[in-house]
Amino acid sequence: MSVSNLLENWSKFRHNHPVEDKGHPDWQAYPSEIKWAMAIDLDACTGCNACSVACYAENNLPVVGKEKYSHGQAMHWMRIERYWDEDNREFPDQGAQFLPMLCQQCEAAPCETVCPVGATNHTEDGLNSQIYNRCIGSRYCSANCPYKVRYFNWYDYPSTENVWPAPMEQQLNPDLTVRGKGVMEKCTFCKQRTYTARNNAKTEGRKIHDGDVQTACQQACPTNAISFGNLFDPESRVAKQWEQQQVELIKAEQEKDVKPGNNLRGYRIFEELRPYPSVMYLERVRENGV
Amino acid sequence: MIENGFNRRDFLKVLGWGGTAVALSGCGNTSIENGKETVVSYVEPEDYAIPSIGVYFNSTCAQCDAGCNIEGRVREGRVLKLEGNPGSFINRGKMCGLGQAGVQAHYNPDRVREPLLRNGSQGETLTWDKALSLINDKLNGVKGEEIAFLTGGVSGHVKVLLNNYLDALGSKNHYAYEAVSPSVVRAANKKAYGVEMPRLHLDKAKVIVSFGADFLGAWVSPVHFSQQYAQFRKGNRPEGRGVLVQIESKMTLTGANADRWIPIRPGTEGILALGIVNALGAGIPADAVAAAKDYTADRVSKDTGVPAEQIIRLAELLKERSPSLVLAGAAAEGYAHGSQNAAAIALLNQVLGNVGKTLEAPANAQFAQITPTTGNRAALRSLNDSMAQGKLKVLFSYGANPVYTAPDALKLQDNLKKVPFKVVFAHYLDETALEADLVLPLDSALEDWGTSIPEYQVEPHLSIQQPLMERLYPNTRGVGDILLALLKQRRADEYKAYEDFYSYLRGAVVQNKAALGGAGADDDAFWNETLSNALVKLPGAAGSLSGKASAVGLTLPAPAAEVVAYPLRLIPSVSASMRDGRHANLSWLQESPDPLTTVVWDSWVEIHPKTAAKLGIVEGDIVEVASQNGSVTSQAYLFPGIHPDAISMPLGYGHEAMGRYAKGTGVNVFKILDPVFDKETGELAINETNVRISKVGNRVVVVKEEGPNGGSQLGRKKIAVKVSSDKVDLSKEV
Repeated sequence: MSVSNLLENWSKFRHNHPVEDKGHPDWQAYPSEIKWAMAIDLDACTGCNACSVACYAENNLPVVGKEKYSHGQAMHWMRIERYWDEDNREFPDQGAQFLPMLCQQCEAAPCETVCPVGATNHTEDGLNSQIYNRCIGSRYCSANCPYKVRYFNWYDYPSTENVWPAPMEQQLNPDLTVRGKGVMEKCTFCKQRTYTARNNAKTEGRKIHDGDVQTACQQACPTNAISFGNLFDPESRVAKQWEQQQVELIKAEQEKDVKPGNNLRGYRIFEELRPYPSVMYLERVRENGV
Repeated sequence: MIENGFNRRDFLKVLGWGGTAVALSGCGNTSIENGKETVVSYVEPEDYAIPSIGVYFNSTCAQCDAGCNIEGRVREGRVLKLEGNPGSFINRGKMCGLGQAGVQAHYNPDRVREPLLRNGSQGETLTWDKALSLINDKLNGVKGEEIAFLTGGVSGHVKVLLNNYLDALGSKNHYAYEAVSPSVVRAANKKAYGVEMPRLHLDKAKVIVSFGADFLGAWVSPVHFSQQYAQFRKGNRPEGRGVLVQIESKMTLTGANADRWIPIRPGTEGILALGIVNALGAGIPADAVAAAKDYTADRVSKDTGVPAEQIIRLAELLKERSPSLVLAGAAAEGYAHGSQNAAAIALLNQVLGNVGKTLEAPANAQFAQITPTTGNRAALRSLNDSMAQGKLKVLFSYGANPVYTAPDALKLQDNLKKVPFKVVFAHYLDETALEADLVLPLDSALEDWGTSIPEYQVEPHLSIQQPLMERLYPNTRGVGDILLALLKQRRADEYKAYEDFYSYLRGAVVQNKAALGGAGADDDAFWNETLSNALVKLPGAAGSLSGKASAVGLTLPAPAAEVVAYPLRLIPSVSASMRDGRHANLSWLQESPDPLTTVVWDSWVEIHPKTAAKLGIVEGDIVEVASQNGSVTSQAYLFPGIHPDAISMPLGYGHEAMGRYAKGTGVNVFKILDPVFDKETGELAINETNVRISKVGNRVVVVKEEGPNGGSQLGRKKIAVKVSSDKVDLSKEV
């Protein structure tokens, strides 16, 4: 994709605001077959970190070590945030709250509009993508991301001591690159996997089925807290979950917010900022009466 | 499974041979010479191997004793990633972080690559022939009782060979040792139910009351239990959504997921269990009533620190919602009266009528030679005593690191020096290998053959471990191959038919195919199918639980009085990734934050904010934690999920050897533990160490995942959201 192509087809690659009118060019820009999305059930999530380690294994994430970690330079595309109840009780007697945080693949991504070189833009299957060899390392995108899920390569990790000392480099996944110094990186919804699945479906002359592709985090998750699939496929589990929770991609305020007490627990984080994220979370449920 | 929709059936047909070919002849497309990679063209590729397409081989995870079945993605002759095997009874396609890091154990830069012989303080390389004949020489003229074999938990055909080898040497000294094991609970279960590890049905319980069993983190078979837990939490099962109550002095990962986490004074778990029995009131067996009659809610509340109304509410809950499941874990068993605690908790299960409902008998094990031998600390103690008395001339060690995991008070390192010849089978030069006279380098779990049976069985089966790629270093050997070679020195005739461990294993499986469900099958076909599944069902007769838990002989000591010089109780914590420290050299695990504190790359001291305020300690203060048997210094972390009378430090850190990521990272808490043992089983009472804590003076910034605001959402209500269960109906959710 050349820059001229990018400029000529601006609305195709930059979604400012997904509109309800499906006849609008923004919607037409989709191949209308696939919109990758996720649902994470915080009630099932135990905070065990299996997803995060699986992501390191799948996506060639460098281990930065203690010092760089202390500078906030950890490269965990999938991280578990842990929160405590803030009710000033002596003990957290309803446990902790765990939140798997990854790139929310926003439809109107705040990171996309600020990239001076168009290195981050929208793919036809609804991902917020990062083109490494176009990235100049301005880090505007990271500054503008409300979720803080973009990770910058401050160092050339392949040549940094004890990141991949031989023979550890043999474990690297050849399906994707190892990023060099000065570029931004982030969760891709395991693009190498979705592409393989799409190509297979295409070869077989069929549409993508639910279950054709799993992200690494989803595949590892011992409690099945993560579901992933095509939101435009009504048969997919993720679409059913979104539907049931009445969470709509193109709305910034959902049924749940409008009418409290309606038995819904699906929500998106920072929806009020209108980034239209593609990850729906399901509230953690706890019984109070015990 | 194969990517790109390649026909699975065709592939599986050759998979068995594929596994063999990978192991014995290699894929022939990568070879590593002088650090340079030579890519050889695919002139004669394996017929299923397509460049750039990953192929999955089934095997068995060796990262912990849960024995999950896995599949490894192999591409261009290298294993790249591990996934759970969907055909598994245990993990059903899922996997934990510790298991994921198995590839790092394989590609670890600090593996031992050559046999090493001690020469002063140095290790000299020697050939395998010399190493094996040296062992033979050293054993000549040594009596059987002067030879001992120390292992971790073992099962399968490695156990068969190991026992046969000891038998050939005339020795009965097999010491199975696990630094962190539920051995007190095993013994209590054996008494109460007739089996050490009953099958648990978390998924059928309406209420789970867990006395410190961290079944989501590091307890017994966490991936399996996590899946059951997910079912337990679903609203659409007939039992409805389950409720989890966790009772422990230090919050575990399971405690962090509870509906109600109840902090309890360390060591009083059994008292609370009897308090609940008492509060249940009418309708329970007379002997239980009698045993619990002194444990009124008020008294129990005073002893345990748990409010009386909470005890009564808990009893009501258990009465209202049956079946329930009561579990005893490390927090309850790690005391001098650990067995009594566990027995009181088993009694509670019995009284609640859970036996036979949420606790079931595992199928009876058939082949005793391959069933798991579990380890415990009592074994290490008796080995240590033998060594101290100079009774041992030759010691073999495999799968254990006692020099690291034994408390200093046992003086194990000194006693080890009294053994003239020590052979250590090692993946890394860990603390124990450094004490060895001869180090035998092992294949990684992804290079080696083996069979295993997990201690916690869902369906009786034998798991197969098969090589996922060619060995990285030419001079490592499989543990089975080494044992076979040693056995051939003694019983050449019996084992001469087996060229190597692979042929032995194949012979063993094929020979028994009728019992393994392959009656009448062609040998090759049966073996290939076994390898492609990497597990084979074992015949097993249904057993039943005896349900004999009784109050007879149940005496619980009063809560421990405060020791003035050492006012705090040290609760060492076992994390899901660090466990007993054997995987400390895997960088993914070091960089994976502890789920509760989010600390990385170091040890820490968890202190309740109230206690910290009293002592004038703030986060990051370097503190000295001193017991009667030593001290360690580490960074303070203020943690609300701990009893104010206790502090907690993670196990597994503070290695003095073992590789670049492990060495010098954090401090080793095993060292300062007091040598107090459970009175019935002889297991180390891991929570019986009293400590005092003092500031050393300096302060550091704790390196952790959570931000400077700790676990606060800063008033933003829509980040991690929790809802009360009466506000939602989960019964119809997708």
